[in-house]
This record gives sequence, C-alpha cells and structure tokens, in this order.
Amino acid sequence: MAHSNDTHTAAVPLVRNFDFTGRMKVTLLVGIVIGVLSMLLTFIGDDHSHSRFWSNLLHNSTFFTGIGLMAGFFMCASITAWAGWYTNFKRVWESMSLFLGVGLIFMLVIALAVWMGWNDLYHWNDANSVATDPILKGKAGFLNRGWYLFGTIIFGGLWYFVLSKIRSLSLGEEADGGYGEFRWHDRIRVYAVAYLPLAGFGSAAMIWLWIMSVDAHWYSTLFAWYTGASWFVSMISATILLIIFFKGRGYYSNVSHEHVHDLGKLLFAFSIFWTYLWFSQFMLIWYANVGEETGYFKHRMDNYPILFYGNLVVNFVLPFFVLMRNSTKRKFGIVGFISVIVFIGHWLDFFLMIKPGVLHTTHELNGHGGHGAEHGGHGHEAVGHAAEHGHEAVAHAGEHVSHFTSGFTLPGFLEIGTFIGFLSLFIFFILWSMSRATMQSENDPYYYESVQHHT
Amino acid sequence: MGAKKLVFGLYNDEEVLLEAVKSANAEHIDIYDVYSPFPIHGLDPLLGLAESRLHIAGFIYGMLGTLTAFLGMSWIFTKDWPIIFGGKPYWAVPSFIPITFEVTVLFASIGMVVTFYIINGLGPGVENTYLHDRITDDKFCLAFDSDKMTNADAEQFFRKTGASEVHEKDIK
Repeated sequence: MAHSNDTHTAAVPLVRNFDFTGRMKVTLLVGIVIGVLSMLLTFIGDDHSHSRFWSNLLHNSTFFTGIGLMAGFFMCASITAWAGWYTNFKRVWESMSLFLGVGLIFMLVIALAVWMGWNDLYHWNDANSVATDPILKGKAGFLNRGWYLFGTIIFGGLWYFVLSKIRSLSLGEEADGGYGEFRWHDRIRVYAVAYLPLAGFGSAAMIWLWIMSVDAHWYSTLFAWYTGASWFVSMISATILLIIFFKGRGYYSNVSHEHVHDLGKLLFAFSIFWTYLWFSQFMLIWYANVGEETGYFKHRMDNYPILFYGNLVVNFVLPFFVLMRNSTKRKFGIVGFISVIVFIGHWLDFFLMIKPGVLHTTHELNGHGGHGAEHGGHGHEAVGHAAEHGHEAVAHAGEHVSHFTSGFTLPGFLEIGTFIGFLSLFIFFILWSMSRATMQSENDPYYYESVQHHT
Repeated sequence: MGAKKLVFGLYNDEEVLLEAVKSANAEHIDIYDVYSPFPIHGLDPLLGLAESRLHIAGFIYGMLGTLTAFLGMSWIFTKDWPIIFGGKPYWAVPSFIPITFEVTVLFASIGMVVTFYIINGLGPGVENTYLHDRITDDKFCLAFDSDKMTNADAEQFFRKTGASEVHEKDIK
C-alpha cells in the first residue's frame, strides 16, 4: 500500500491480526460453562412451565442479539452517511454485528419452543386464553406462533445475510483492493443502504413480538424505539470497553482517545435519547391514565421499585453528569467505568421489560388469578409456588415481602450466572472473529481519515 | 487599551497556517493572535489557550433554569394558585419535566450567548476593528505585535512559512 500521506502514520507498528490466546479462551470458556451451569440449575429448580429458565433465555438472547443488530445498524448508517472516523476500528463493529447470527440461534430455540408450546412466556400463545379474551383475539393476526417463528427466521435471516455480505466484501477489499479505490466500498454501500430499512422496520416488528408481547394486553408505540435505544447504548458501551481492552493489549495504537471521545459522545447522547423515550412513554401513559396502559407501569412501580427507579439513576443520571464534561469522555478509566455501569444498567432495563410480564402470564396461565394493575394483596400462593422449589436463600425472604419472587423481582445468582455465560460467549465470538481478519482495514477509502481523526 | 500596530500574514490554507504557528513557537516569537473563518483543529493547544470556561457558565445557567422552572411551578401549582389539571395531583412532577427541560435549555442558551457577547465585546451597534476583509472569507491570518518584532523579521518569517500576503494595520 502506497500511502502518499505519511506524516500521520503511527509510530508503533500495527499488529495485523488479533492473537486470541489460549488463556483468554480458557477464561471465556469458564464463563460460558458458568452460564450453562446456571441455566441447567435454573431449569432443574424451576416450576413446571420453566418460566424462570425461559425468561432468562429470552432476556439474554434478545439483549445480546440486539447489540449485534445495532452494531450492524450503526455501521451501515455510518457507511451510508460517508462517515469515516470509525474505519480503523470497524472490525469491532463487523465482529459484533456478526454475533447477530449466534443470537438468532438462541432466538430460534425460543421461537421453536413457542411454536411447540413448551413454555408460558407469552399469553397470546395459549389457545384457551385467546379464544376467551377479546383483546388477545384482536391481536391474534400478528401475535401468533407463525409470525414469531417465521418473522424471526425471515427478518433475522435477511439481517444476517446482509451483514455477512458486508463482512465478506470488507475482507475482500482488504485482500484485493488498493487504498483510495471505491470499487469494493461502492458494493458495500449498496448492502449498507439495504440494511437500514430492513433493520429499522424489521427490528420494530421483532421487538413487538420478542419483548413487548410478554405483556400481551399492553402496547406502546414508543416501545420499539425505547428498546432500540437501549440496545444502541449497550452496543456503544461494549465497543468502548473492547477498544480499551485491545489498546491495553497493545493493539490499535492508531485508535486514540479522539475515537473514544466520539464514542463517549454517542454514549452520552444516546443515554439521553433513551431517557427521552423512557420518559415520553411514561408521561403519556401517566397523563392519559387509561387503565389498559397504566397497568404496565403500575405493576413495575409497585412491585419492582428498586429496579424501576434505579434504572433511571444508572442509565441516565450517572452517564449524564459524569460524561457531561469534555475531559471525562477522553479518559479511558472514566468512560470505561461508565460503560460497564451502563451496560449492566441496560441489561437490568431488559430484565424489567421482560420478567414482570412473564411472571404475570405464568401466574395467569397456572390459575393463580390476576396479578397486574388490579391486584389486591392476594398472590401469596403464587409466591409460595415458586418459593417451594427454593431456588436460593432469597426465595424465603419472599414469603415476608409481598410478591417477591426469586429470579423475577430481582436478578438472583442464577440470572447473574446466565448473564456471565452470555457475555462470555459474546466476547468469545468477537475475539474469535477479530482473530480471523486483519485488525486494520487499510484498503478502506476512509482509512486515513479515521487515522487522522480529531474531535 | 492603547493603539497597537500589528503586522500580519495571510495564508491560503489552514494546514500551512498550523505549520507557521509551529515554527513561530519554535523560534519563540510572541504570537499576537490568529484569525480564521472557521475553527482550526489542533490550534488551541499550539497557542497555549486555556480551555474555555463558557460551558461551566452554561451549566450554571442551565441549573438556574431548572430550579426556576421546577420550584416556580411547584410553588404556583401547590401554594399560590392550586388548580387540578386532568385529575392529577397539584404537585404533578412528571408534567413539570418537559417545561423544566425547556426552561433549562432557554436559560443555558441565552445565558451563554449573552456571556459570549460580553466577553468578546460584541453586540448590536458595536464597531469592531478587524484586520482584513478576507479573514471572514477564505484567508487565515497570523498576527504579530510590531513592538516586539521588526517588520523585516516579520516579513522574512511570513515569506519563509508560505504566507500569500503580508500587511500592517493599526488597531485600537
């Protein structure tokens, strides 16, 4: 590669491929084993419909699949917008976006289980309820097994197809193209442009099916945006942490605090965007005060106060005040710390989206009566039902606190174990994918723009 | 502030200007100021400019706006003139938030603009001297104080660093 402009070439030689060492593999495999064990333990100690197991699987699968989806989305948006600043670390987003394929396997397992009726995740999946419930009947055209399974296959397949095309073209560009040529880039752009509407509209449909329909009676037009923003913020924080990790290992010497500064700005901005959507959804429902809509929030505010209010502190107040200043976005320590907080915070946000609805559905389908907005202090038998199995010591505390259900009201050890498992798999896949290609994309026409990037 | 005599060079490109600033620093020449039609990346550290404190002022104005709006509405709707809107409690915090946000932005933005104008001596009707018309268009200007440098030295420096024009001007 003959680069005419050599004044900005980094002094440290750029390592070409990521060396995925045995030690990293072992560490991550231990994490994956912890996850598998946690899921097995959850499955064994669960009630007869295995709601805790399935809701954990759904929670983590949607969370990590969505991070892949959003990495692809932002990469494609950047390509479409002729942005260049991210080019020298674009392999991170390529790898992360390909994790979509792994996440979709988990989603397919869930979709298959829904198809076969193996779980009680979704109220609309119960034929008796749909037959007698006019609201579920009215939604049956969309909320049904066919849409769930084939929507996941078709949309997920299209997303993965486009993203893997972009990846292979990007590798082709690196192997074959010369610097400054747009031959390959123009082809990548076609796929990037195609991905935007596919992911934009498709993700909304899949969010409604995968996540929002756990509260089958409830709906919110803002929900898809809100969930998407949550994915986006998690994706940005994961990117920041991976870049800090790679830099700590001596890679990416030409990715500087300038790039991290821009990622920090995105983390800051999209944390506010998430809060804006959270608040818009909340305030409209609070103000209109329609019973069908308020149930969602009433249930969460009454029974999940720590998560409900903590969610705003962790995902808004902390990133807002810490990342407000210019200098904090440029210091790896501070921006990395906030990234960890926000990543876990959005995992908890997903917990709060999924778990209350699943618990409610499980109780309803198993004949324990209403548990939602109109509950009146009964439901102790429902709590006892889960506590009988004695997941953990905390389950016994649930007998004294009304409505406390281990693994549902707050994440227990098994939820944390499952999270560690999924996170390890996620990192394992990314590092493996990074080791399969050059870390730099020197033939990308925007490569030098990104090396010289200055905020 | 007394009258000053400045000698300045005009450059066609901001990259050339940056190099000129670097060589001025290397030769320990005291730079009076740099004028440019747009902000130049990497110039501030070269000139040794401290980080602007305008954003700190902006934060304080914003917090003032937050307090004004939130405490104001709280007082008005609970003490001064309680009215029930839409069956909500008097102290309806969620419905105060959009207005609080707007007043925060209003206070921060107007406060920062006014502060910026006062600090820089700008404002409606204020006559400002500027060195050259094209500084507001496509030229990048590096100015030295004539008291601290002979014109011949300045001219030699500007020629060496690739300035396209060299001028002198008195400013107030």
